[in-house]
Amino acid sequence: MNKIKSRQLYLYFLAIAPVGKLVLMPTQLAVYAGNDLLFPAAANIVLQSAVIFFVMLLARRNKSLYALVEARLGSIAGKLVCTLFSLFFLYAALLPLLEQKLMVQSVFYDTLPSTIAFAPFFLLSAYLCAKPLSSLGRAWDVLAPLSIAGFSGIVLLSAGGADFGALKPVFGQGGWGFLRGSAYTMSWFFDSALALSFLGKVEYKAGMAWKSALCYLAGGAAVLLFLALFYGTFAEVSVRQLFAFTKTAKYFSGVAVLGRVDYLFIFALALVMAFYCALPMQASVDCVREAFAPKNRILHNVLAILVNAGLLLGLWLLNFDFLSTSTAIAKTLFWIFPVFTVLLPLILLAFGRDRVQVS
Amino acid sequence: MYKFRKFLRALPAKLFLLLALIILFSFFANDFALVDIQKTAIILAAGVDRTEGGFRVTAQIAVPKSGDRTAGGTSGVEIAGEGESVAACFAQIYSKTGWVPKLVFCNLLLLGEETGKEDVLPCLDYFLRNEYMPDSCLVAVCAGEAGEFLSSKSAIDDLSSGAAQSLFSDAAEKSGRVMKCSLKEFTVGYFGASGSSYTPFLRRIAAEGERNAGGGSGGSGGSGAPQGDSVYSAAETAIFQKGRMVAVLPPEETFAFALLKGRVFASAFDVEEAGETVSLSILKNSGKVAFTAKGAPQAELSVTLNVRLAGRDTPATVGEIARSIPSPAVLAAAEDLLQARLTALWERCKSAGCDLLHFARTLQRNAPKQYAQYGKQVLSLTRVSVKARVHAVK
Repeated sequence: MNKIKSRQLYLYFLAIAPVGKLVLMPTQLAVYAGNDLLFPAAANIVLQSAVIFFVMLLARRNKSLYALVEARLGSIAGKLVCTLFSLFFLYAALLPLLEQKLMVQSVFYDTLPSTIAFAPFFLLSAYLCAKPLSSLGRAWDVLAPLSIAGFSGIVLLSAGGADFGALKPVFGQGGWGFLRGSAYTMSWFFDSALALSFLGKVEYKAGMAWKSALCYLAGGAAVLLFLALFYGTFAEVSVRQLFAFTKTAKYFSGVAVLGRVDYLFIFALALVMAFYCALPMQASVDCVREAFAPKNRILHNVLAILVNAGLLLGLWLLNFDFLSTSTAIAKTLFWIFPVFTVLLPLILLAFGRDRVQVS
Repeated sequence: MYKFRKFLRALPAKLFLLLALIILFSFFANDFALVDIQKTAIILAAGVDRTEGGFRVTAQIAVPKSGDRTAGGTSGVEIAGEGESVAACFAQIYSKTGWVPKLVFCNLLLLGEETGKEDVLPCLDYFLRNEYMPDSCLVAVCAGEAGEFLSSKSAIDDLSSGAAQSLFSDAAEKSGRVMKCSLKEFTVGYFGASGSSYTPFLRRIAAEGERNAGGGSGGSGGSGAPQGDSVYSAAETAIFQKGRMVAVLPPEETFAFALLKGRVFASAFDVEEAGETVSLSILKNSGKVAFTAKGAPQAELSVTLNVRLAGRDTPATVGEIARSIPSPAVLAAAEDLLQARLTALWERCKSAGCDLLHFARTLQRNAPKQYAQYGKQVLSLTRVSVKARVHAVK
């Protein structure tokens, strides 16, 4: 049975998806929305959870993304849509990969390591890409408790040092700050598009749509809690604090006595992030495989290797262009994300509705 | 047999996964944080002084102690670099030693007294931006030059930075005699609406004879500095407005500031009562700065202490030494003393133009419209009252 269980899906939305929003997104939000950083994040979370709700309504059809489009618009349209989503997932994978690479190099190393040090990640991701989604689903069973423990540990260690008064005055940055904050952090919210790639690979259970949306909202609430802690800890200098989740807990008074115990929790979340980064790559490979050769395992493996080799090369080439790359993805081309995570899923939903049978 | 064949089929993939996980672990583990000390300068403290052409950075670099192998420990060597920027200074240190300067263990940033009189952010910016530098690192200003201070010989520690840092322990902070400040706290204050920050002000004192060095005269170059072993004092606090050191709080006002922050516990202070000195031990401290912008801006600085009698400077009878409850007259004298110190603290901040108590920040957070109207003049417009309450622990 190559399908993920509903439990695994809920765990993903609850505990895996939020981890990707704890690295550079808080800093980006602080730059554009200042002390109002919670509102743009909340807007994106609510929007994503609504789209996830609608996408998961399609799950009961037990058809993959390709099958859904093909049934309505024919195989060429199906192939086209899947190719577009595959390219989008590759594009969406870039930012989390860059974040993860820089975070490990900056936090776990005390001087800049060589570029190639990140290459081993692609061995793992190539393996995951060559496997069906159900393999990742089983990993989520293990990773979700790890993520919850790591996040709880960081929150507990950070809470004492945060001055939540820094979040005032509420809505002091005005509508412009809200709009910029929402738009320029959309590149971290592509979970609804990933939910589309889950179609046909999930064991459907009644109430899956609202349960998925609720789990996503719960994970989003955890992100909002962290954002409040982050801004409460760093206030005006939040704009300089990259790799947010690795920074807030180190001011815990016990750290001076025990050493950096927060590294245990950071390590746990970094491990979860490695699997989170591999998911869009896996989704990219899966989209092409389903559309062009669903039974061809060799093609599947070759695609997995090509995607990983391509991204490794991309990361190597962009090694010293992180700032321009992240600006291009998150700011200049931010509109690509709502097209693939909101517009296209809703269009697909409109096309994918059951026809009313008239007898 | 079938199971064995199935196992053999899956073996390459499993071995691949195992290999990937092992290599990935080595990536995360940073070579198990092994440091080649032959190639690395582990900087324990950095002192920054301004020069005519820019900056001089003195790095105290850890070197393994030679000689008595059983004693172990660390000693240090001070290497200075000069340049137009702090980064250029570190580059010079690198070129002088051939050791890669490593700031990950740097726990003290020391600024010279003259350096503090100009905006210190250019001195700190390099450290703030450096991802390998912990921003929990403490910041302090010293009398004279930071380079000289770091090069001085401590009577209590092999390293001057180690001796200075021991003044900033949690216990010292709870005594109310030291107001420590990290790089993060300093910059949060700098960029905040109030634009104010503070750091401990360090002085060198000759270990023998306790001759005061520097004397707060502001002279650089260490005139009057002790030549032999020194001990250090951090009982004073330098206060900053927009990154510029505008005043130094004497020990009494530093103590009042610590009481306002509510951080003091198990400390003692002296009160005069009818010509007799009575020591009171603080068992509980709460402090508050209540600012209100309704009508004319007003602030109340309040401190509440629960105290116990800790000692008298006159002989007492057996019956008297059994009593640990201070008399109402002593409590009243303590309240008067604290009110006087709080008033002195406020007056010094006001005259120096330093919003140390964050009136502007509170105004900005709670009444943005009023902040836009008169936020910049909040220090001169605010009417401040002080209140000290001292209760006896019965």
